[in-house]
Amino acid sequence: MIAWTDHLLIMPVVLPLVTGTVMLLIDERRHGLKAAINIGAIIALTGTGLALLGLANAPPTEPTATQVGVYRLGDWPVPFGIVLVVDRLAALMLVMTSVLALASVVFSLARWHRAGAHFHSLFQFLLVGLNGAFLTGDLFNLFVFFELLLAASYGLMLHGSGTARVQAGLHYIAVNLAGSLLFLIGVSLLYAVAGTLNMADLATRIPLIPASDRMLLEVGAAALGIAFLVKAGMWPLGFWLPSAYSVATPPVAAIFAILSKVGVYAVLRLSLLLFSEGDTNLAPFGQQWLLYGGMATIAFGAIGVLAAQDTARLAGFAVLISSGTVLAAIGTGHPGVTASALFYLISSTLAISAFFLLVELIERGRGPGADILAVTLEVFGEEGEVDVEAVEEVGIATPVTLAVLGLSFIGCALVLAGLPPLSGFIAKFALLTALLSTPGAEAVVSPASWALLALLIVSGLATLIAMSRAGMRVFWIPLERAVPQVRLVELAPIAALLLACAVLTVRAEPILQYVQATARSVHNPHTYVRGVLATPSEQSAPRGGDS
Amino acid sequence: MSNATLLISLTILPFAGSLVAAFLPANARNIEAWLSGLIALSALILTTACYWSVTAGGVMRYEAQWLPTLGLNFILRMDGFAWLFAMLVTGIGLLVVLYARYYMSPQDPVPRFFSFFLAFMGAMLGVVLAGNLIQLVFFWELTGLFSFLLIGYWHHRAGARDGARMALTVTATGGLCLLAGMLILGHVVGSYDLDEVLAAGELIRSHALYLPALILILLGALTKSAQFPFHFWLPQAMVAPTPVSAYLHSATLVKAGVFLLARLWPALAGTDAWLWIVGMSGLVTFVLGAYLAIFQQDLKGLLAYSTISHLGLITLLLGLNTPLAAVAGIFHIINHATFKASLFMGAGIIDHETGTRDIRRLSGLYRFMPITATLAMVAAAAMAGVPLLNGFLSKEMFFAETIAAHDGSLVDQTLPLVATLAGMFSVAYSLRFIHETFFGPPAVALPRVPHEPPRWMRFPVELLVVACLVVGIIPELTVGPVLETAAYAVLGPALPQYNLAVWHGFTLPLLMSVAALLGGALIYRLLREHLLGGVEGPPLWRHLKSQHIFERVLVTVSWRWAGALKNLLGTRHLQVQLRLLVGTALIAALWSLYGRELAVDHTASPALDPAFALLWTVGATCAVGAACLAKYHRLAALILVGGAGLVTSITFVWLSAPDLALTQLLVEIVTTVLILLGLRWLPKRIEGIDSGARLRIRARRLGDLALALVAGSGLSLLAYAVMSRPAPSSISRFFLEHAYTEGGGTNVVNVILVDFRGFDTLGEITVLGIVALAVYALLRRFRPASDSIDIPEQQRLQNARDAAPPLRPPGTTLTDYLAIPAVIMQLMFPFIGVLAMFLLIRGHNLPGGGFIAGITMTVGLLLLYIAGGIRWVEARLHVRPVRWIAMGLLLAAGTGVGAWLFSYPFLTSYAAHAELPVIGRAPLASALLFDLGVFVLVVGAMALILLALAHQSIRSHRTPSAKATVTPPSAGET
Repeated sequence: MIAWTDHLLIMPVVLPLVTGTVMLLIDERRHGLKAAINIGAIIALTGTGLALLGLANAPPTEPTATQVGVYRLGDWPVPFGIVLVVDRLAALMLVMTSVLALASVVFSLARWHRAGAHFHSLFQFLLVGLNGAFLTGDLFNLFVFFELLLAASYGLMLHGSGTARVQAGLHYIAVNLAGSLLFLIGVSLLYAVAGTLNMADLATRIPLIPASDRMLLEVGAAALGIAFLVKAGMWPLGFWLPSAYSVATPPVAAIFAILSKVGVYAVLRLSLLLFSEGDTNLAPFGQQWLLYGGMATIAFGAIGVLAAQDTARLAGFAVLISSGTVLAAIGTGHPGVTASALFYLISSTLAISAFFLLVELIERGRGPGADILAVTLEVFGEEGEVDVEAVEEVGIATPVTLAVLGLSFIGCALVLAGLPPLSGFIAKFALLTALLSTPGAEAVVSPASWALLALLIVSGLATLIAMSRAGMRVFWIPLERAVPQVRLVELAPIAALLLACAVLTVRAEPILQYVQATARSVHNPHTYVRGVLATPSEQSAPRGGDS
Repeated sequence: MSNATLLISLTILPFAGSLVAAFLPANARNIEAWLSGLIALSALILTTACYWSVTAGGVMRYEAQWLPTLGLNFILRMDGFAWLFAMLVTGIGLLVVLYARYYMSPQDPVPRFFSFFLAFMGAMLGVVLAGNLIQLVFFWELTGLFSFLLIGYWHHRAGARDGARMALTVTATGGLCLLAGMLILGHVVGSYDLDEVLAAGELIRSHALYLPALILILLGALTKSAQFPFHFWLPQAMVAPTPVSAYLHSATLVKAGVFLLARLWPALAGTDAWLWIVGMSGLVTFVLGAYLAIFQQDLKGLLAYSTISHLGLITLLLGLNTPLAAVAGIFHIINHATFKASLFMGAGIIDHETGTRDIRRLSGLYRFMPITATLAMVAAAAMAGVPLLNGFLSKEMFFAETIAAHDGSLVDQTLPLVATLAGMFSVAYSLRFIHETFFGPPAVALPRVPHEPPRWMRFPVELLVVACLVVGIIPELTVGPVLETAAYAVLGPALPQYNLAVWHGFTLPLLMSVAALLGGALIYRLLREHLLGGVEGPPLWRHLKSQHIFERVLVTVSWRWAGALKNLLGTRHLQVQLRLLVGTALIAALWSLYGRELAVDHTASPALDPAFALLWTVGATCAVGAACLAKYHRLAALILVGGAGLVTSITFVWLSAPDLALTQLLVEIVTTVLILLGLRWLPKRIEGIDSGARLRIRARRLGDLALALVAGSGLSLLAYAVMSRPAPSSISRFFLEHAYTEGGGTNVVNVILVDFRGFDTLGEITVLGIVALAVYALLRRFRPASDSIDIPEQQRLQNARDAAPPLRPPGTTLTDYLAIPAVIMQLMFPFIGVLAMFLLIRGHNLPGGGFIAGITMTVGLLLLYIAGGIRWVEARLHVRPVRWIAMGLLLAAGTGVGAWLFSYPFLTSYAAHAELPVIGRAPLASALLFDLGVFVLVVGAMALILLALAHQSIRSHRTPSAKATVTPPSAGET
């Protein structure tokens, strides 16, 4: 018997599922009603997420208290049935998801939610997948939720149609289906050697696996890892990502910002949960790959950001930098760095999301090819330019819309490049200082840490150069352009996301403490494992044989 | 006011003002100026009020918790040195605001200007007052950001954009280096607190990381202060409005670099590395800047290079590693700020009142603006180091320092000579500035008739020039205490004795000063002919256009190389991506297996049955054939895929998995039919289009084949290894044991699906529903390729036959197509429905279940559509697939939620058996309800996909090009 409040844990899955389904029954043309339902559900989800975060973060009242909430589906005892588990990491991701979702949906109200069929339902189903993936404590169930969120993302990716979207969308589908296949192979191999699917149970069984089965386990783990890294966009598996994200409709791209973080989440969760218990053999193997792969991803992202021909692709490559940074930080294997990486993840995801929303607004009202023209002007502008002095030394008044858009652009650029005063700077500082103060090795910083440090700084510089170039191209070059028609519901989410970044700067301490506690518990999964496996398993179900 | 209040309000005030200024209307020039002036004035008063707390080494400190976890707190710290800078920032800021009020055109939308200006002032104060290394970097980057916005204020001008971008790129790069350096410094000291860092000089200088930290920090400081080799951005930044130049490039932004050098002087200075890097950079900049300044034709350009040179002088002084030189450096910071700000404003006045600042066009302005000319002359004299002016004092201290021996090296020996030479250059360009602007014949053809500026526009210049004079004449009484306070804050008790008197007697430094003055005049005289030639820039050097080079390098590195690298390291082709994916997976697998033996237990596997082997040969052939034909012969490939699927299904039967076999079979059928429907709309592929690149394509395909073979056989090997070894103790045992007792069913597969792991099933059916919705959404807007719009060839032939004698209306044959099978298919529909129900109900105990039943039902529906066509079916049957999907999902989820009513977790099942009339004993598990949901959803999802595909044929009528063709109304859609 469980109390009503305990069902809170499954609400992030059931609520969007039911909401999305109910909206299928409503006539397709009633966009307003659907939008209202969608937003209402997301607000409820945000509340749920915050409540769960509060639970996960509650100080232990008694020494035996585990800060892990477990929900046994179907009331089956623990290693056999499916469990949902909420800990700090999961709660954090839940809250992030609903915040981004709220911003995206509000933004879509201006026009995009009418651009295709069943937008709101697909959106809610995407949330089911995301929330489920963050909550589940079962490996196969994770696969199911991956499929769910991918299926919904296929639909959303194609939302709005158009050749570019369909083309990039089909690539996206093909690559991710291949990734799912690998996921399935990995799960099968793990189940074949460990005989269980419950993650906590896997964590206890894996150290006991005989050496002869060891390599099968490792192959399985590698397959899983690659499946996750495809999702996270790691080089050389993530080429689909900038193409897909940059052509998706803005609200979709904005929520996709967290989609790539699901892969990162899974890597973080599983690599530390499954391979940290008394196993020194496997952990470094995977970590090296993560570290160097992440660094390659940062480098490629930075190159891509510089080479991006338009702002949307720039944003797409910024996703790669963000993913790569977190992956590389996880690869260092230090809780302190992981904590900073989580802080960075929050900050960069918010900014990328805002940026995806912004990109469409600033491109609006610019003629096609305006970017190419502006680039040509910048690159080849030295010759044949109008007499500089002939231009009046009187400033041009900026229309309010452009001013707000420009400010938002600067805000996004600052966070992404890691410059003050928004949270990007704090995040970068936290990462760098954690890299320098990694414990052990007698205060000597390893070459890999130095390399990562340099790469982080250089990638910030690349982002700054690219963003300033893009910003000047859009806002400063006086090409003939109409002031874009922008509605308040489109500006509000961007402003809110950037405001969140500002809050993240000012209130950095409590958030940092939270992510540090998160990183500690993720790196020491004993609490998690004990919390899941110790869940009371007495059979009190009303099921019986015959009546 | 308490210290804390003072410091906080000093920091916040400009930012608050900036925020207010941003919201004022575009034409509120006076209100803006008043607001900014008041802010600057208040800040100035606040700073002044701090003076008594910082004399004699006093330090004001305010600390607030910010990020204690990372050792980062918000610390405001003001000592004498910071106070001096705060005075410069606020005092000159106030004057510049006043000046800008008159300088900026009434049409200029000044809110942006004053907003950025105040924000910049705030950032600068933040740098000055930072009590924490990271906080210093924080505000440092902000100064870069706001200076970027200010330099690019007139952004409709290409020059402003270029200058702003160059300034941002150079200083932000430096800023990032600075951040790295500060991090290392903090790492070395163990704290980012400025007080602790300053106290740990010994530790820092002896640490192994001293050099990297020093180099990184110096990169930050030298770029900001435009020191060689980073000096090139400053002249380009002169495109900013003159008030900005006067503020940023005389008193604040560029001074931030030397501020940092002086700030960290106790911690970093005193080593050879410091001497060589800082000293040499300063020396080169000092000489080079002065030399280049002589040849500028733009008033502001001349002042810019002169600023570079003077900053070089300060840098050199700070780099000399002696306390006395540091004092001189600090002194020169003050002096330079006063005379350079006034000179910039003077140049701005000339520009404003004549319409040009080109030295070649200006001449004889003394007649028109005598007061301004006098002021400029005094300020320029201070710049040149003429006695009785403040510039003379610090320059003489500098000369004295160059004489004092340091290490006896060649550079050290020649230093006095080089210093004198640079002094001559300074005199030369100062002379040129004054002489060519104010003297000579009256200028002709100026854009405007020159006249004196408004009273209050000149006022700031007057005030600053008076300061130059007063300091120059009675230094001990005026600047003495201030300098001592500031120098003490940097040097502490090590503060050396120095004498600020104007007259030191006939000393070597005085001789050097005189030599510089005379020599400078001589140089000017000698170069005059050349300068009048009107060529911009010095001989030879002018061909070295640093801006050009910088732009080129930036474009090449950050655009062309990046683009090339991106294309090299990335791809947009799907094939390449999939190849990489498979390849990476293969490598990762091999990595795990490398050097170990994959134990395969051959004894455990039974002997291979020949029939089974044959079956699999067929299946494998089908699969390979499908892959071969997939590109050009889709239909054949599809049939072969069906064959492979059938073999899989039979294999399941062979291995005693009836549920799987049944599911596989049904799924094969339905998907094949659906893909068949889709094939109709795919564009045709013409074989052999790439005859030129055939070899390359063939090689690529062979490579792909090899990869596929290796990956496939590897996977088979893995699967075999898994299946041939004893199963571990697994959770499946529990399912077998509890399926009936607690799940209430004997079909374990089904109990797992709907009960043990019902949550998975709920997820998977949602996936199915979503995929159907996505397919629908995609195809709703689908417009087939133009060559697929026409009716199929077979129908065309048929119609042609109809048209041939004996004449029949076209389409008649088509209407009767498959007439007999159609009747049978229609008749079968109810039977298939019953079968589906049967499969659904028995599913819990025997092979069957919701999914299988749903697919079966779909087969019935498919047959109906094939037999009757869309219109026939939909005239008789309400096909509402989206509603079915929703109902199915609601039913399944609702069953799960139902458990909540009994205070059990989601999806807890209840199983019972009831005696029903006629049917007899029947299982009644809540799982059945769940399974019913699965059933409804599967039917709905498959029907939606079917409809989405099938309705294409109806829709294509509407496309204009298809209008001409006649399609029979009731058939042919499939």
